[in-house]
Amino acid sequence: MTPNPKPDKDFPWWLVIVTVTGLWLFYEVWASAVYSAALATLAKGIGITVVVTLIGYAGACILGLGLAMAGLSRFLVLRQAARLYIEVMRGIPIIVLLLYVAFVLVPAAIAAINSVASLPYDVEAKVEVLRTRDVPLLWRAVLALMLAYSAFLAEIFRAGLQAVETGQIEAAKALGLNGWQRFRHIVFPQAFRMVLPPLGNDFVAMVKDSSLVSVLGVSDITQLAKVTAAGNFRYFETYNVAALLYLTMTIGLSLALRRFEAGMRGRVER
Amino acid sequence: MRLTAALAATLSLTALSAVAQDLPDLAGKEIVVVTENAYPPLQFLDASGAAVGWEYDAMAEIAKRLNVTVKYENISWDAMIPAVSEGQYDMGMTGITIRDDRKEQVDFSDSYMTSEMVMMVRGDEARFTDAKSFAADDTLLMAAQPGTTPFYVGVYEVLDGNEANPRIKLFETFGATVEALKAGDVDLVLTDGTAGAGYVDASGGGLKIVGEKLGTEDFGFIFPKGSDLVAPMNAAIASMKADGTLDALNKKWFLDYKMGG
Repeated sequence: MTPNPKPDKDFPWWLVIVTVTGLWLFYEVWASAVYSAALATLAKGIGITVVVTLIGYAGACILGLGLAMAGLSRFLVLRQAARLYIEVMRGIPIIVLLLYVAFVLVPAAIAAINSVASLPYDVEAKVEVLRTRDVPLLWRAVLALMLAYSAFLAEIFRAGLQAVETGQIEAAKALGLNGWQRFRHIVFPQAFRMVLPPLGNDFVAMVKDSSLVSVLGVSDITQLAKVTAAGNFRYFETYNVAALLYLTMTIGLSLALRRFEAGMRGRVER
Repeated sequence: MRLTAALAATLSLTALSAVAQDLPDLAGKEIVVVTENAYPPLQFLDASGAAVGWEYDAMAEIAKRLNVTVKYENISWDAMIPAVSEGQYDMGMTGITIRDDRKEQVDFSDSYMTSEMVMMVRGDEARFTDAKSFAADDTLLMAAQPGTTPFYVGVYEVLDGNEANPRIKLFETFGATVEALKAGDVDLVLTDGTAGAGYVDASGGGLKIVGEKLGTEDFGFIFPKGSDLVAPMNAAIASMKADGTLDALNKKWFLDYKMGG
């Protein structure tokens, strides 16, 4: 079997099917009281899902890029520390990490902060004691997703940075660019273009994995679907609406990312 | 609880106006109450998405009587007892069965409700009609959420008291147990009467209730160990039992309210 050389040029029948199904569901939402009530409730979770995804992903990108750079550092300690972090975080299921961060890590961190803050600098000064409940479950969930995804993104960034040809870096050295200039003007722009498709994939995956925060009871789309179905006894309809909301986000995002990549490719080839 | 009984007896004889005077005044203290909104009709989301139910009404009345300000937070059931135990919240409510093993982690209020379970089965089920005939046939399976009232009733009143009995299939949410029942993975789900009736109504003949009511489980609010809220809450619950407020709530949510509308 010879692979088709240009699968990207196929007419997107899949998109037609998805759109038709989506339109049917939107029609149901409009026509059926059960669907529209479910949508009205679940829509309140869109904001939380978006916030969890965006902040979690942005944080994971920054942390992941830092880890990738640490992993390629001149210093053995930094390289090994990055490796340790990545291997451990990648090896723990996100749902386990989520419960661990929420009920072990954050309470421990708060206890540590309090014990440092209550050191007797001034016996008269009453130190405000930080309580675990002051850190909402939403932010603990975002932190956990950020820690988990930073390990995956670090590997993507590392691959991207390593894929830049050594000849490019040598040429930049010959031109007298210093370390930061080489990274900023030569390595990063090329690596960025290479990592964009896998980064986009993980962004879409993060939209879906944001649903894991529901195990803590954070009111995202999934948690609202869970409690809505517990109250209206309509699992099929309620989860249809949840799936519709997620698909609208993920497919919309995929299409936008593909267009963006095509634009980037166009710029390079020009 | 002799004190509560004495209090309740006293209150039932006194006029309503006297009730408020006998209760502690907590001077507007804010208490953070955590719940999941997944246990109709105790707390759930109504058709408009608003959090309502028996426990919300009861807490609103308690707040009035004790002069406290209630702030609600949400958490999943799995995480609730650890979170309350650690003192992250002042109180948890979600129809929690008062059990000795849980008392090692949290303090309970006095019971504010006694729940009875019903047996929910598929509409065409003919192999068993009650708990005894279910237990007798080893091929029959039941589904439950671990650590919940239906789970314990299933273990100790329907089956043989073995919590690891392979005839109990465990699911994370109550909804999943119902879906497993509909799909034929299991043959029985235990639930309290209201939720059972709601599922049967919504199923269009796919589900039915069989057998006698099972188990009597007492529900209490949970508090971090040593909480100073337990005594005032018990006094408020006793006063609401005595003056018929709890009965009125039972009527409103268990008889009059139409679920799944």
